[in-house]
Amino acid sequence: MTQQLTETRLRKTLPRLSRARAATVRPWLLLAPALAVLAVLLLWPLVRVFLFSLQDYGLREITTGELSWIGLENYAEILASPELWTVVLPNTVGFAVLSVVGTVAFGTGVAVLLASLGTFWRTVTSSAIMAAWAMPAVTGTYVWVWIFDADRGVFNDVLMGLGLLDDPTNWFTDRWSFYAIVLLNVIHHGFPFVAVTVLAGLLGVPKEMLEAAEMDGAGAFRRFFSIIVPQLRQVFAVVIILSTIWDFKVFAQVYLMPGGAGSNRSVLNLGVWSYVESFGQNRYGFGSAIAVLLTLLLLAITAVYVRAVLAEEER
Amino acid sequence: MSGNRPLRRTARRSPLRQLGKGVLVALLLVFTLFPVYWMLNSSLDAQAGNTSSFWPAEPTLDHYVFVLTEGGFGTFLRNSLLVALGTVVVSSVLALLASVAVARFRFKMRTQILMMVLIVQMVPLEALVIPLFVQVRDLQLLNTLIGLVVVYVALALPFGIWMLRGFVAAVPVELEEAAYLDGASWGRMFWSVLLPLVAPGLVATSIFSFITAWNEFIFAMTMLGGATESYTVAIGLHSFFGIHSNDWGAIMAASTIITVPVMIFFILVQRRLASGLTAGAVKA
Repeated sequence: MTQQLTETRLRKTLPRLSRARAATVRPWLLLAPALAVLAVLLLWPLVRVFLFSLQDYGLREITTGELSWIGLENYAEILASPELWTVVLPNTVGFAVLSVVGTVAFGTGVAVLLASLGTFWRTVTSSAIMAAWAMPAVTGTYVWVWIFDADRGVFNDVLMGLGLLDDPTNWFTDRWSFYAIVLLNVIHHGFPFVAVTVLAGLLGVPKEMLEAAEMDGAGAFRRFFSIIVPQLRQVFAVVIILSTIWDFKVFAQVYLMPGGAGSNRSVLNLGVWSYVESFGQNRYGFGSAIAVLLTLLLLAITAVYVRAVLAEEER
Repeated sequence: MSGNRPLRRTARRSPLRQLGKGVLVALLLVFTLFPVYWMLNSSLDAQAGNTSSFWPAEPTLDHYVFVLTEGGFGTFLRNSLLVALGTVVVSSVLALLASVAVARFRFKMRTQILMMVLIVQMVPLEALVIPLFVQVRDLQLLNTLIGLVVVYVALALPFGIWMLRGFVAAVPVELEEAAYLDGASWGRMFWSVLLPLVAPGLVATSIFSFITAWNEFIFAMTMLGGATESYTVAIGLHSFFGIHSNDWGAIMAASTIITVPVMIFFILVQRRLASGLTAGAVKA
């Protein structure tokens, strides 16, 4: 018995010595392929988009490889453009705030509802939610465009049938109704992730805590905000970060709507503006500068969240 | 599921409460499923676009036949399948290796690398599409599916690493120690212990990469602009809409064809996908 123990102890210490050295090299060997891909395809392009933004970079420059540096002229032009302040920035930031708040609030509400259901209805409802989630952004957008189509869409038909509307209305020309449809589309597409994630967290909250609180006379709202929310702090942090990242990057949902690809200037957001300037007007330098501004905006906002999550993790 | 029985026993079960809950569930189902239903309904109706009917007024499969033959969606589906599978294979292997490194080893720069993996996910595609367009053009890979796979691997990789590292971290270190005690090498331990236990996470990550590649639009539009025969489904639908913008029955049939594979996928693996997202995102 004792002999056996010393033997295992020996075998345990021997590989450990060589493993110590391997442990410093091995993680880098494992990381190397992924880091190479990220460096070449994400980090280097990020440096390049910044370099492009300092140039008058058009079709000629792309084909000949010539460089014409113009310093911060692109940025000056963007910042001096009244369109940026009255249209593009409000569309981008306002929409992102509304859609993050809307998606997280609605998704959380759905999660609470699901948690209170029996197994059968919970399965039915969450399968339906999966169906909404699975709808690709491109097809989802076309379906919403079809529903709200001016001449033959079902939305106008129903409103006129109910006598709420006299003539078919084109909901895509007005900036507010345009973005209301985008918001509907984005919430419909985005709430399932929030609901499913928060539901998983909710089911993990110790029941004893909730029961104890209920016995102490805490109402449903009180129980939600005093017990569930603090328990799910990390889940909410993740859900909010990811929703922010996804909602700021909304592109297809705007670009594919009627007028969304640049012909209706009042619905431009930073992403679409950058794309149509680059690939529509061949002003790649100018478009790059817009893209850099969008990136900085996103980084600034999300850096705050990321620090919160990492701080939590290191504890 | 059995864990929440005590809670339900204490919950008040007044009929009014049950009714309210039923109404909420019904509203939720309508909101969630109506667009899906409307897409199917229009795709099956020969009268789609002429009258708004809540069920197919004149049921037909003609829209599907048209879309798959003249619409070119047979080719687009094949292209998307190739691109998505290529992306899944390459990005899963790279993400698995990297996630083992960040989940199992403490080394200098570990936190910085994790931070970078998080931050690159924030970069908007609009910022990457200009330089990557130039880069892929210089490599003469414009209008090729390989060029697209290369880009999609990069897009799917950060999230894959982030997600898989939670699954790797969840494997008890004691199991690895036991493998070493039995004299296994690190490589042997990786194949026989770690890999089988991380398999569910790998499935979740693969599905996520597959869907990323299947749905991606902006790069497909930019890089495949000139070559219809290399279109993926997303850009195929965009160009189809440009040509047949009034044929809503056909547009919805094409949309259904694109959506259904993804939807079946999602429903089949829903529990795994949800646990995958939270595991990768929440666990340290």
